[in-house]
Amino acid sequence: MADHESELLAPTPGARVSTFLKRKDVSQTLLLWVFFTAVFVVLGLWAYPKWMPVVLSKQMQANEDIMIWFTVISAPIAGVVLSIAAKSFLNMHRGDTPPEDGVAIRTNGPVVIVWTATSVLFCIVAIVWGLVALNTESIAAATDAPKSLIVDVTGSQWVWSFYYPQQNIHTHTLNLPVNQPVTFNVMSADVNHSFWPVQLGVKIDANRLVTTVAHADPTATGPLDVKCAELCGLYHAYMETSGAVESPTDFNNWVSSIQATGGVQQ
Amino acid sequence: METATPSKARTTIGALLAVVLGIVVVAGVGLTLHSVSADPQPKLYATKVGTITAADGKTYNHYTIADGVYPDPINSKAHGNCATCDGGHPSWPSYGPYTDFVLPANSYITVTLTVYDSGEKLNTPYFGSVVGTVDGTVSYDGVAKTSLPPDGVEHTFTLHGLPTSTQDPLFVNVPLPVNTDAEMKAYNADPTKLPVGHKVVFSFLTHGAGNYVWNCEYPCGDSTYQGFGAVMGQLGYMSGKVSVVNG
Amino acid sequence: MTTLSHAPASSRPIPNPKKSLITKLNMGTGIVVGVIFCWGTYFAMKAGRDMTDSHNVNKVLLMSMFAWSIGFLIGIGAFIGPFRWLIGKDLTDEEQLYLAVDGQGWKRYFKYCTDHKVVGIQYLVGVMALLGVGGTMAMMIRTNLATPGSHFVTPVVYNSLVGLHGITMIVAMIIVATGPFGNYIMPIMIGAADMAFPRLNALSWWVLFTAVPVLCSAWFLGGIPTGWTAYAPLSDQAGPGMNAFVATIIIFAVSTAVAGMNITTTVVAMRAKGMKWNRVPIFVIGATISVALAIPAFPTFMVAMIQTGLDRTIATGFYDANVGGSGWLYANLFWIMGHPEVYVILIPGVAALMEIAPVFVRKPLFSYNAAIAGFAGIAGLSVLVWAHHMYMAGWMPSLNGPFMVTTEFISVPTGLLFLVLIGTLWRGRPWMKLPMLCVYAFIWNFLIGGITGIYLSDVPADNYLHGSMYVTAHFHYTLMGAALTGAIGGLAYWFPKMTGRMLNERGGYISFWFIQIGFNVLFLGMFIVGAEGQPRRVADYAHLYSHANLISTMGAYSVGIGMIILLWAIVHSWRSGKIAPMNPWGAKTLEWTVPYPVPLVNFDQPPVVTSDPYGYGRSAK
Ligand code: HEM
Ligand SMILES: [Cu+2]
Ligand SMILES: [Cu+2]
Ligand SMILES: [Cu+2]
Repeated sequence: MADHESELLAPTPGARVSTFLKRKDVSQTLLLWVFFTAVFVVLGLWAYPKWMPVVLSKQMQANEDIMIWFTVISAPIAGVVLSIAAKSFLNMHRGDTPPEDGVAIRTNGPVVIVWTATSVLFCIVAIVWGLVALNTESIAAATDAPKSLIVDVTGSQWVWSFYYPQQNIHTHTLNLPVNQPVTFNVMSADVNHSFWPVQLGVKIDANRLVTTVAHADPTATGPLDVKCAELCGLYHAYMETSGAVESPTDFNNWVSSIQATGGVQQ
Repeated sequence: METATPSKARTTIGALLAVVLGIVVVAGVGLTLHSVSADPQPKLYATKVGTITAADGKTYNHYTIADGVYPDPINSKAHGNCATCDGGHPSWPSYGPYTDFVLPANSYITVTLTVYDSGEKLNTPYFGSVVGTVDGTVSYDGVAKTSLPPDGVEHTFTLHGLPTSTQDPLFVNVPLPVNTDAEMKAYNADPTKLPVGHKVVFSFLTHGAGNYVWNCEYPCGDSTYQGFGAVMGQLGYMSGKVSVVNG
Repeated sequence: MTTLSHAPASSRPIPNPKKSLITKLNMGTGIVVGVIFCWGTYFAMKAGRDMTDSHNVNKVLLMSMFAWSIGFLIGIGAFIGPFRWLIGKDLTDEEQLYLAVDGQGWKRYFKYCTDHKVVGIQYLVGVMALLGVGGTMAMMIRTNLATPGSHFVTPVVYNSLVGLHGITMIVAMIIVATGPFGNYIMPIMIGAADMAFPRLNALSWWVLFTAVPVLCSAWFLGGIPTGWTAYAPLSDQAGPGMNAFVATIIIFAVSTAVAGMNITTTVVAMRAKGMKWNRVPIFVIGATISVALAIPAFPTFMVAMIQTGLDRTIATGFYDANVGGSGWLYANLFWIMGHPEVYVILIPGVAALMEIAPVFVRKPLFSYNAAIAGFAGIAGLSVLVWAHHMYMAGWMPSLNGPFMVTTEFISVPTGLLFLVLIGTLWRGRPWMKLPMLCVYAFIWNFLIGGITGIYLSDVPADNYLHGSMYVTAHFHYTLMGAALTGAIGGLAYWFPKMTGRMLNERGGYISFWFIQIGFNVLFLGMFIVGAEGQPRRVADYAHLYSHANLISTMGAYSVGIGMIILLWAIVHSWRSGKIAPMNPWGAKTLEWTVPYPVPLVNFDQPPVVTSDPYGYGRSAK
C-alpha cells in the first residue's frame, strides 16, 4: 500500500510521525478514538450519578467519585482499543476466499513499551487513588472514634436488629443523626451476613462470635435502606430493613420515643 | 455443494423447528419446576368481625385470623394428609394449618395462635421482645406481656418485608411461650396427644398493600449449625408469606 | 507402556483381543456397576443409623456418591491396567490398540477410549450438555427475576437455581476450551501422535462424567442454598443437597488434576521436531498455562470441600465458630482456588482467539512475546490476589491495601492481551467469518468486563459494589462475554477439523447476533440494578429495580434463542453440513495438514517444524 511505503521512506522520526498522522486510516482511527472516548466520558459522568442512590455520607461520595473518574480516565485507553477494532471491522472482507495478506508487522518495540508504560501509569493512578481513599477513611475512622455514635448490629437469619448502647435502645430500623460519625459493630447470630446500609456506601460482613467494624460519616439527611449482601439461606432476599439519616432533633425525638416504650422500638 | 446438502428452504424450516423445539423444552422444564415449586400452601384469608377504634383514635375495620404451632407436621395439618410428610420428617415442627396469610390493607388485624410445642433458647435475645403490636403487648393465656425471657421461647412469629417505594414497612415480632416438659409428657409418649396448649393473642395494623414474609427466629432446625438448617431452610413450616391486599 | 507405532494404518496389526474383558466393558456396564455400588453403599450404611440426624444423612449420601463414581470407573474398565500392574503385568499390545483404535465406529465414544480425538469429542458433547443445563437454569433465574415478587419459583428453588447454575457453568467453562480443543486439536497442533498419557486422558473424561449425575442429584435432594461459592458455615447448615455439591467438587478436582498433568506433560515432552518454545502456537501456550494454573488451584478447593464434608458428617467444626473454627478459613481456601480459576477459564478462550485472529486478518500475531508475557503475568499475579473477594469480610482489613495493589497490577498483563489483538487487527483486512466476529465480540465484552473489574478491585468502590448485581454483571462479561465467546470462536474455527464439515454459516451468524446483542442488554441491565443497589442472589427485589430487571430478562431470552440456534447449527452441520476441505481457512498450524478423519497416530510422517505458524503477510521491509 502506498501509504505504507511512504511511512518507510520518511527520513526522520518527526517526519515519520507527521506522515503517519496524515495517513487516511490513521486519521479515521483517530476520529473513532475521539468518538469512543467521548462516549465513555459522557457515560461515566452521566450514568453513575444517575444510577447510584442518593449520597448520604462521605464514604458514598468517595465511591461515586471513583466510579465516575475511573471511567473517565480509562476512557482514552478503551478508546484506543475500540477505535482500532472498529476501524479494522469496517475494513472487513467478505466472501468465501481469504483476503490477500496484510502487512507482516511482527511486533513494534516502541508501541509495546508505550502501551505497557501507559497501563502501568494508569494502574498506579488507580492504586494511589484507592490507597489515598483507604487511608483517608481509616484516619477518619480513628479520629472520629471518640465522638462516634455506636450501633451494635446483629444479623440473624433473616432479620437485622440494632442496639444503640449509648442510648440503650433496641430497634429494627436504622436511624442516624446527620453530621455525627457512626461506628457499626457487626455480629452474626448464625451464618455469614453482610451489613449494607446502601446510601452510606459502606459494607461489612457479619460473622458469628467475631465483631467486625464499619464506620461512616453521614453528611445528608434522607431515607436509608439496609440490606444483606451475603447469601444467607432461605430468606436472604428479604433480609432488609429501612431507616433514615435525620436531623439531630429528629433523631433525639426518635430515641426518646423508643425509650418511652421500654427501650424497644415498636 | 459437494454432497447432498439439504435445500435452503428445508434447512430454514429445520432451523425454525429446532428453535421452537428448544423453546418448548426449556419452557417445559420451567413450567415443571414452577408447578413443583409453586407454593403448595393454602392461604388463610382474614375474616371481618366489625370495626374497632385503635389507640390512635382512628376507626379501622377489624379482621381476625387464627392458626396453630405444632411439634410435628402431622398434627399441624399444614401439609395435606401427612402420614409420610415430606419424605419423612415427622419431627419437624410446623405452623398450621396455614402458613400463608392474606390480610386487608389499612386494617386492624387480631391474630390468635395456639401453641403446642416446647422450646428453649433464642439465638438472638432481641426476638424475645414484643414488637409492632398495637399496644406493644401480647396476651399470653390472657396475661399481657411485652416480652418473654429469651431462654424460654418456643417459636416466634416475625413478620418483615422489603422496604420499597411502593410498599409500607411492616415489622411485627411475637415470641411464643413454651409448653413445659410436664405439659409435653403425654405427647412425647404418644404423638396424637397434644398438650392443652397456650393461647397467644395479638393485634397489629396493616398499612398499604404489599408483599411480606414471616419466619420463626427460634432455632428449631435441630442438629444443624445454629439450628437454622433442616425445617428452617424450607418454606411452609416455620416461614411463609403475608400478602396485604386492597379491598 | 508401549507406544503406538507410526506405521500407516494399513500395515498396523489388526487388534484382536477376543477374549479380553476390555472388549466387553463400556459406559453401560459402568453405569450398571456404578448404580449397584451406589445403592449397595446406601442401604448398607443406612441400616441401623438414626436418619433423623442430619450428620448421618450426610455420611450415607456422600459415601453413596463416591461409591457411584468408583463403581462406574470399575465398570468401564478404568482400573484394569492399574490392577494388572499390581500383579506385575500390563495390558497387552493388542488390548492397548483396541482401546485406541479407530475401527470401532461410534461405539468407541462410549468406551474407555484412549484416542485423544475421541476424548476431545466426548468433552465437546459433555460441555454442550452442561452449558445446556446451566443455560436452562439461567432462563429460570431470569424468568423469576422478570417481575418483583418471586412468582415463578419459591426462594428455596431460586437459591438452588442460582447456585447450581453457577457451579454447572463454572465446571463447563473450565473445560470448554481445554477439553475439546486441548484434547482433540492441541496434540495435532504440536505434531504429537497422541497425548503423553492416553489412559489418563480417558480417565480424566470419565471421572468428570461421573460428576455430572452427582451434581444433578442435588436437585432431587432438596437443592443447595449456598450459591456456587458454598460459603461456610451456611454449607455446614445446608440440607442433603449440599452433599452433591461437595462430592461433585471432589470428583471434579481429581479429573482436572489428571487432565492438567497430562496436557502439561504432552506440551513439554511431545512437541514435533523443530518446534522450539518460540514456535509453539499461542493456543497451546495459553491452554498449557491455564491447566498448569489449575494444578495447584483445584486441590485447594478439594481440601476446602473435604473439610465441609467432615464438618457435615462428623462435626469436625473447621468452619464452626462455636467450636473454634472459622468461616474465613473456608473463604480463604475457596478464593485461593477461585481467583486463579477465573483465569483458568479465561486464558484458553483468549488464546483461541489469538490463534484465530492472524489467520483471518492474514497478518502475523502481533508480538508473540507480549502475548506470552500477558498470559504468564496474569497466571503469576492471579495467585496473589485472592483476598480481593474478601475486602468486606472483616478478615484482615489491614491486608486490603496490599491485595488492592496486586489486583490492580493484573490490568498490566491483561492490557498486553488487548495489545496483541488490536496490534494484529491494525491495518488488517479481516475475513469476516464467525471465528473472526468472535474476536470483535470478545474485545468489546472483555473491555467492559476489564474496566468494571478495576472499580471492583478498588477497596472503597467495592465497599459499595461487593455482593451486588454489579459484580454478577462484571463476571458474566468476563466469563461469558469473553471466555465463552472465545470458545464459540474456537468451535467455529476447528469445527471442520473435528467433524469434517463446515459449520453452517447463516446459523452461526444469526445465533451470534442473538447471543451478543442479548448478552449486552442482559448484563447492562444488571449493571444498572447493581449500581442502584440490588444485591446479588436475591429471589425478590424492590419495585425500584423492576424496569431494568425486565429488560435484563428480555436480553436473557434473546441469548437463549441464540444458543438454541447455535446448537441447531452445530447438530445440523455435523450431520449434513458442507464437507470441509483440509485447510478451509488457509491456516499455517499443523492440525490443518492432516486430513479428516484424522488418522489414529495423526501424522503418517512425524512433522518437522521450521518456523512459527504466523508467517502471514507481505514483508514489511
Ligand atoms: C444465558 C446466559 C446466562 C444468563 C442469562 C445468566 C444469568 C445469571 C443470573 C441471573 C445469575 C444470578 C445473579 C445473581 O443473583 O447473582 C447468574 C449467576 C451466575 N452465573 Fe450466569 N448466566 C448466564 C451464563 C453464564 C455463564 C456462561 C457462566 C460461566 C461461567 C455463568 C456463571 C455464573 C456464575 C458463576 C453465577 C454465580 C452463581 C452464584 O452467585 O453462586 N453464567 N447468572
Ligand atoms: Cu443474607
Ligand atoms: Cu420455629
Ligand atoms: Cu478474584
